[in-house]
Amino acid sequence: MTRTETSTAPTMDEQTHTSEAESAVKTRRVEMQSRDAQPAPDPSEFAVIDAIRRGETVPATIHDAVEDEPHVLNVQNFRLWYGAAQALFDLNMNIPRGKVTALIGPSGCGKSTFLRSINRLNDLIPSVRTDGELLLNGEPVYAPDVDVIDLRKRMGMVFQKSNPFPMSIYENVVYPLRIDGERRKSVLNEVCEKALRGAAIWDEVKDRLHQPGTGLSGGQQQRICIARAIAAEPEVLLMDEPCSALDPIATLKIEDLISEIGQRYTVVIVTHNMQQAARVSDYTAFMYLGRLVEFGPTAELFQNPKLPETEQYVTGRFG
Amino acid sequence: MSQAPLIQSAGDANEPRHVKRRTPLAVRGEPMLWLTGMALTACIFMIVALLGIVLWNGFATFWPRDIHEVKLDNGSVFLGVPTREESYDPGPARLADIRAESETLPAGSLDDKGLPKRRLYRVGNKEVTGQPFQWVDLMDIESIEEPKDVVLLERTEWGIWLGTPETILLKEERFIPATADGGIPLEGMTQTKWGERRFEREILESTDEGARVIERTYVAETGPDVWELLPEMHRDADKRRARIKSLNKHDVGFINMKMERARLAFREVQLQHEDGKVSDERLAAARATFEEKQETLEAEYEELLEEIRELERIDDRYRIVVRDPTSGAFAPRAQTEPDEPMRLSQIVRVVRANDLGVGGRLGVYFSRWWEFVSEEPREANTEGGVFPVIFGTVMLTILLSIIVVPFGVIAALYLREYAKQGLIISMVRIAINNLAGVPSIVYGVFGLGFFCYTLGNYIDNGPTNPWSPGMWWVGSVGTVVILLCAAVIGALGRPTPGQPPTRRNKILGGAAMMLWLGTLGLFIALIAKSPFFDGFFPARTTFGTKGILWSALTLALLTLPVVVVATEEAISSVPGSQREGSYGCGASKWQTIRRIVLPSAMPGIMTGMILAIARGAGEVAPLMLVGAVKLAPELPFEPYFPYFHLERSFMHLGFHIYDVGFQSPDSEAARPVVWTTTFLLIVVVVTLNLAAIAFRARLRKRTRGGAF
Ligand SMILES: Nc1ncnc2c1ncn2[C@@H]1O[C@H](COP(=O)(O)OP(=O)(O)O)[C@@H](O)[C@H]1O
Ligand SMILES: [Mg+2]
Repeated sequence: MTRTETSTAPTMDEQTHTSEAESAVKTRRVEMQSRDAQPAPDPSEFAVIDAIRRGETVPATIHDAVEDEPHVLNVQNFRLWYGAAQALFDLNMNIPRGKVTALIGPSGCGKSTFLRSINRLNDLIPSVRTDGELLLNGEPVYAPDVDVIDLRKRMGMVFQKSNPFPMSIYENVVYPLRIDGERRKSVLNEVCEKALRGAAIWDEVKDRLHQPGTGLSGGQQQRICIARAIAAEPEVLLMDEPCSALDPIATLKIEDLISEIGQRYTVVIVTHNMQQAARVSDYTAFMYLGRLVEFGPTAELFQNPKLPETEQYVTGRFG
Repeated sequence: MSQAPLIQSAGDANEPRHVKRRTPLAVRGEPMLWLTGMALTACIFMIVALLGIVLWNGFATFWPRDIHEVKLDNGSVFLGVPTREESYDPGPARLADIRAESETLPAGSLDDKGLPKRRLYRVGNKEVTGQPFQWVDLMDIESIEEPKDVVLLERTEWGIWLGTPETILLKEERFIPATADGGIPLEGMTQTKWGERRFEREILESTDEGARVIERTYVAETGPDVWELLPEMHRDADKRRARIKSLNKHDVGFINMKMERARLAFREVQLQHEDGKVSDERLAAARATFEEKQETLEAEYEELLEEIRELERIDDRYRIVVRDPTSGAFAPRAQTEPDEPMRLSQIVRVVRANDLGVGGRLGVYFSRWWEFVSEEPREANTEGGVFPVIFGTVMLTILLSIIVVPFGVIAALYLREYAKQGLIISMVRIAINNLAGVPSIVYGVFGLGFFCYTLGNYIDNGPTNPWSPGMWWVGSVGTVVILLCAAVIGALGRPTPGQPPTRRNKILGGAAMMLWLGTLGLFIALIAKSPFFDGFFPARTTFGTKGILWSALTLALLTLPVVVVATEEAISSVPGSQREGSYGCGASKWQTIRRIVLPSAMPGIMTGMILAIARGAGEVAPLMLVGAVKLAPELPFEPYFPYFHLERSFMHLGFHIYDVGFQSPDSEAARPVVWTTTFLLIVVVVTLNLAAIAFRARLRKRTRGGAF
């Protein structure tokens, strides 16, 4: 299977999905169309998925390789509600340090919600309530005395829809330093160049740094956003479907970039695209209806998963 | 009705459709097109008509028109500038007479309906004619000539004078020593800087040494001579006049100001002494300083006065005789002195209208415009310029924007970014929007009552009935206690991060809010009732009356809703993804607002400002109550410290139009000024708007360009 065929994952409005199983299953149709015509087995045959659908708590299947790694994030019994609706159920997972971890799962299963919980971006939504522990380097993220602003500075975030600021490319990239009060030109210049090189877009924009980014393509804009996210040397880089709005070529570039960045940072990336997860990540977590189902090294998860439902999902026979 | 054939033909689906069928008119919507087009045309027509009339009248006013020498059937002759013509109904009896002899009347003196036509002549020469405009029946005119040597004099006082310039002379009262033979020549030639000239002397009183005489030296005695010398001599006279004016205004004004300050300083000590707060010795010391200062200032003043008198004396020597052919009188120096020819410096402009080509007329035209926009008004605002009026309008508008924009933006920011959207905020928003619908005079009444009389009076005189010091201190301590309570309860009531507010949070938050409001109220009361403040200007009403500051504040209030609504709209249209991006980078709420939201919202804010300017600059009704006056003696700006005098009243173009047009004793003379002022008002508002729009466009280019 060639890369380009599958790299355009459907963009979906997450807000419109309900957490009910039926709708979650329906929304995976697009992925399924590109598979062979093998009939999808009835998901109700699978014990774990079944239990999850019934709302029961099933312990996640976590491969030992994950536990052996040093961890940057420890998630313990993490739960999250949007108002009365629970979106995350008893998440327990440890994210390895310095690796790329992919979050996969059907739409509306809470991947974005989980990602946004890590840097507490969910605080912006007044109705959100959380419970359980989320530790960054052993320190609780949700303790009352945590400085949220400082916490977010330690993480970079790349969003599904590229969101460059209305200022020059240069100012966009050094924004995290600017808000820190950094004024020294030399420092800013250096960071800017380093970040843009890191985001593999330096050569394309080095002559127009001080111009606004009008005319940049979608892929270039997303790479500017990545440069912004890595400018402040974050401990963790959070990426929420960074390629979903991009064309195949741009997607390729960003994927290469993620593999490269993954050598230096801890990256948590949400993706709808199995091939992308397989290509860029070291570890993959499969989520379903707000719960973690299986979490292990990418190669193992894709070729030799422990749960039959994971196999069905990664091969696209069930979503 | 028209749909019937449609349905019929659709009966058989297999039958080929008739190609030529027409969709009915109503379906195609053609009539709607005509209707909307007509409505738009009507709008455009009205706008063009409005602008056209104002522009035409405003532009035509200053064009120099020919001067007619009109000879009437009854033999009388007068000079006049034709102003306009109309037909009128002289009553049935007279009309019958006129119709009877209509054959013999000159052509064109009756209109199509047989009504007589009359023409309004501007005849000027108010001192001799009594009225500066005069109607003349066209049928009474025997002949009209346009003699080349008549001039229209624009004078500093008493309006225009039409006549023929005859002589320029130097008139001077002086002492002439007697010559060797004991006589004094009463006539002769003397050397002047214009050459050898004839002089005449009139002896007032003579002694053995000589005599005091009135000496007239005729510098120019023929029309061509007058024309040759007049421009230069007039320029010199103008310079002298300007110098005298500047001495009178600035130098004397400066001394007066220092005198007034000294007086006020002393008066304050005096007032304090009356209250028993200052000892007798200090009062005496203050009086001594004041008197000493007064003396030096008076000496300075005398010196200045001497200089002015000398200049006045020189100025008074240069005279010109311009004779009115009807009465034979010449333009006098003053209405009470018909025998004294006018001074050269009393001429503003000499227009030799009948002898001017297009170039000359253009020159006069532009010089009149320049005078109009750069000079001060004369003759009850009907002549001269409107510089202070323009200045007042522009300054008011700028002041208003400086006040309303930050205020409105901050209010909108709170409403959109910080406040919890809910019932209360919706109500506040509705209230603000409704403020825009309040009649403007209501704001005027509020401004007068609150700003001028309450706030202004407080600044001038301090609180009306202050609390006793003891009570005030108790109040201050109470305020601090409540403030601390509010802070503590507020801190306790803050919801845990990441958790929605609980019942307890809400109750405590509400309590803290009430306490904050209480603190604010008490704080204001403490200031308003302070026994330790006696006002800044107890000696003279300064802020407690009409003023440009109060006007700007009143108009700011009036235009606040416009800015708030526009800003709110702009803020809410900044995409949420950009805010999230900023928060994701670790920016605080304020940093996000300042660096992402405000720059993107700037063009929208500017739109609000433009709307506010457009509304505020043209507003008249509230200004009549809180600041605009018919004639402001001083601008609200001075070239010496403290430069801006925001407490002063000012002149405003809108009010000026009303005042000149409808409150002026001489409405016919004022009519042109009304048009030109209206024109200027439009120009000022449009210019201010254009400036703001250009500024917005630049901002847009900067932010929109960066908006990817
Ligand atoms: N702002 C929100 N308010 C209420 N419910 C939300 C909100 N955002 C997401 N949800 C719900 O939370 C669940 C998880 O959503 P999300 O994390 O966006 O899923 P994913 O990214 O895996 O597609 C969905 O059922 C969605 O409807
Ligand atoms: Mg998502």
